[in-house]
Amino acid sequence: MIGYVIRRLFHTVLVVFAISLLIFFSIRLTGDPVSVMLSAGEPSKEAIAQLKANLGLDKPLYVQYFIFLKGLVMFDFGESFRSGGPVIDLIMDKAGATLALAVGGILVSIVIAIPVGILSAVKRGTFVDFFGRVFSLMGISFPNFWLGIMLILIFAVNLKWLPSSGFDGPQNLILPSITLGMILSGILARLVRSSMLEVMNQQYISTAKSKGISDWAVIIKHAFRNALLPTVTFIGLQFGSLLGGAVIVEQIFSWPGIGRLIIDAINQRDYPVVQGGVIFLSIIMVFVNLVVDLSYSLIDPRIKSGGSGHA
Amino acid sequence: MRKKSSILLTLMLVFALVLTACSSKTETSPTESSKKNAANPVKDRKNELVIGVSAEPQNWDPIDVFLLDWSTIATSVFEGLVDRTLDLELQPGLAKSWKYLDDKTLQFKLREGVKFHDGEPFNADAVKFTFDRLLGEEGQKGPQYSNYSSIDKVEIVDEYTVNLKLKVKDPVILTKLAGYGAVIVPPKYIKEKGDENFNNNPVGTGPFKMTSYKRDQEIVLEKNPDYWKEGLPKLDKVVFKVIPEASTRLAELQTGKIDIMKRVEVSQAKTVKETAFLELRDVGTPTAFALRFDVAKKPLDNKLVRQAINYAVDKDAIIKEILSGYGKPISTFQSDLSFGNNPDLKPYPYDPEKAKELIKQAGVKEGTSLDVMIPGNDGNFKEIAQAVSFYLEEIGLKVNIKTADGTTMNSDLIPQGKAGHMYRQGWGGWTLDFDNTAYLMYHEGEFWNPSFKDEKVERLLTAQRNTVDQKEREKIFKELTEILYDLAPELNLYSAVDLYAVNKRVQNFQPPHEDRLRLEEVSVK
Repeated sequence: MIGYVIRRLFHTVLVVFAISLLIFFSIRLTGDPVSVMLSAGEPSKEAIAQLKANLGLDKPLYVQYFIFLKGLVMFDFGESFRSGGPVIDLIMDKAGATLALAVGGILVSIVIAIPVGILSAVKRGTFVDFFGRVFSLMGISFPNFWLGIMLILIFAVNLKWLPSSGFDGPQNLILPSITLGMILSGILARLVRSSMLEVMNQQYISTAKSKGISDWAVIIKHAFRNALLPTVTFIGLQFGSLLGGAVIVEQIFSWPGIGRLIIDAINQRDYPVVQGGVIFLSIIMVFVNLVVDLSYSLIDPRIKSGGSGHA
Repeated sequence: MRKKSSILLTLMLVFALVLTACSSKTETSPTESSKKNAANPVKDRKNELVIGVSAEPQNWDPIDVFLLDWSTIATSVFEGLVDRTLDLELQPGLAKSWKYLDDKTLQFKLREGVKFHDGEPFNADAVKFTFDRLLGEEGQKGPQYSNYSSIDKVEIVDEYTVNLKLKVKDPVILTKLAGYGAVIVPPKYIKEKGDENFNNNPVGTGPFKMTSYKRDQEIVLEKNPDYWKEGLPKLDKVVFKVIPEASTRLAELQTGKIDIMKRVEVSQAKTVKETAFLELRDVGTPTAFALRFDVAKKPLDNKLVRQAINYAVDKDAIIKEILSGYGKPISTFQSDLSFGNNPDLKPYPYDPEKAKELIKQAGVKEGTSLDVMIPGNDGNFKEIAQAVSFYLEEIGLKVNIKTADGTTMNSDLIPQGKAGHMYRQGWGGWTLDFDNTAYLMYHEGEFWNPSFKDEKVERLLTAQRNTVDQKEREKIFKELTEILYDLAPELNLYSAVDLYAVNKRVQNFQPPHEDRLRLEEVSVK
């Protein structure tokens, strides 16, 4: 187990290195930050050259990359072109809000999707199943900006129960979490349903039932536990992608998250912030994957971490 | 079985109805029924104003940024030697008066008894420090430096007199001194606390001081009790909330969480007007919008084709139908707020017959196609581009609308002449003087000018920079605008109108032409 974790950490270093190469060079293909910064004024060619030199952008690319890599080893992503402050501070500033929203979204989706998925599978072919499937379809097909704005109109503007934007307290988390969670829960409910159906057809379920164990005990203890594996994988992956990918929801609810930070930085061609943000998220993503993999052996003791199937 | 499916069908219909009901509500006015005569939701906010803005600059040091979003908020914190009234007239700011000692020396008499928010005095030392910093190593790292490169140095005459020495004649220097980069900063505070601290904790001489800054969330300004203008500001506190999404900003306004909403979208104007406790305010801006021609590309190298396109497009219809009237026609690439605008020139009239004639005269074949590039994220302009495309097809030209990322367009595609035959450009001209726009757009070899050149235009551009006599410059600009009108280097569309939505509890608020909110006279009921 420990050997496995060490091996995985070594993989992480390789992944981060590969991403650093990719992000460093790809962001430089998208345009010049200096002309973006100066474009509103009187950007003479001399002024552009001077500012480039001051930002270190006149050095050969490989030199710039090594400077970036050297900083990366020390967890120093450099300084933002725009705010002038260290990039790591900007990221840490948003990390709390980002995490809160991702957790909120995942919780909402679990609370909704798991019961819906289980009921749908157990009552397959009935009205309950139909309702569950329609619900999943809705979750998958609603665009989240539409849902977000609808929730604001209903709960903030008309009913005045909840705030529509900001980051002042737990009540601010409710609407964005529901928006994110509803969309996720559509897919999650489908997944739970199909894995439940698969498990319910297994012989051990019939055996358990024939032993006289109550229906719900069979469903929860035997069936759901075995259907949990793909669900956990999915939740883990979604959690990782929510950390940086909730941009639209962050935008609608003025949520100060990392997704918005990176998008703004891309628009401004603020290279250090884009690089730092992407590297930070990829490190988190790799760790989330590791935790998901490790959790398999807890859910199903037959799987030993390090087994070839889940590396 | 049959019964079951009919139940399902009914349920689906009910569900569909609920959805339709919800969505139709958004399309018209989300709050029509509930808010039309609703009472003002703002209660107990005391002498405090909350403003919803779409973005903030991330950095408050005046020499590090060049953004309208900075000026919206920082105008209340910092002041320059020269100021502008809400009607954009120059007026004394931290300088009481000024005079030219010669063409390259300006002498300023400074206001006495003014203090920075940290208590240190404003004087000649502060002015010298400010310009040394702007023009020195620290300033050269930022985008403001190149705006002030005509300044050589500041010389202190006495504690309240300074001479500003110029390297070259600069007829626009006074208006530049009213710009963002030249606001006066506190020497002692910056030396002691450092530049990085200043980015997040700005200190100026303005009517309000910044007491809290939460990045991307909220900026709190509190009254400067020692402000030099007697009895001002009237408010105790102003909070700026950063709300990027326009529909969320409107929701916050409707629920009374904010008092003023900046950047109201045209589609939201109706909702604001229908809400009893809100008021819609519109104000003309210096920003002109055009589809500029890359004159290096055929057939746009021919003046007749460029003129034909100007005749072919009904700009008034575009303003009326797509912008709901919130736009003003322009005859050259500047608004009527710009010094150098020529009111005698009327925009090209809509005359498709004349356009067809010119196209024929130019020998352009029917069906010749033109690439029009617009930024992908500008939905409003996409509609405008489609209208233009319709008009040009009427005269036998074929238009391909292409979209690109707005930033890439500005930083690479336009300067390198890779933005198609025509491309969208919006230009504010921060000095509010046609010099800024005209020089950058038409002077050969400039960043924004991939292909245009004309000898007469070059001569006039140089001439207006060589004199500080504004009457003389006005005459030069008159001639220049007439030539540009004839050469038609762009399809001029409109100058933008900004919309603000304001809660009626707010008194004395006048929306600014150029985003710089002036709040010292504003009060609340």
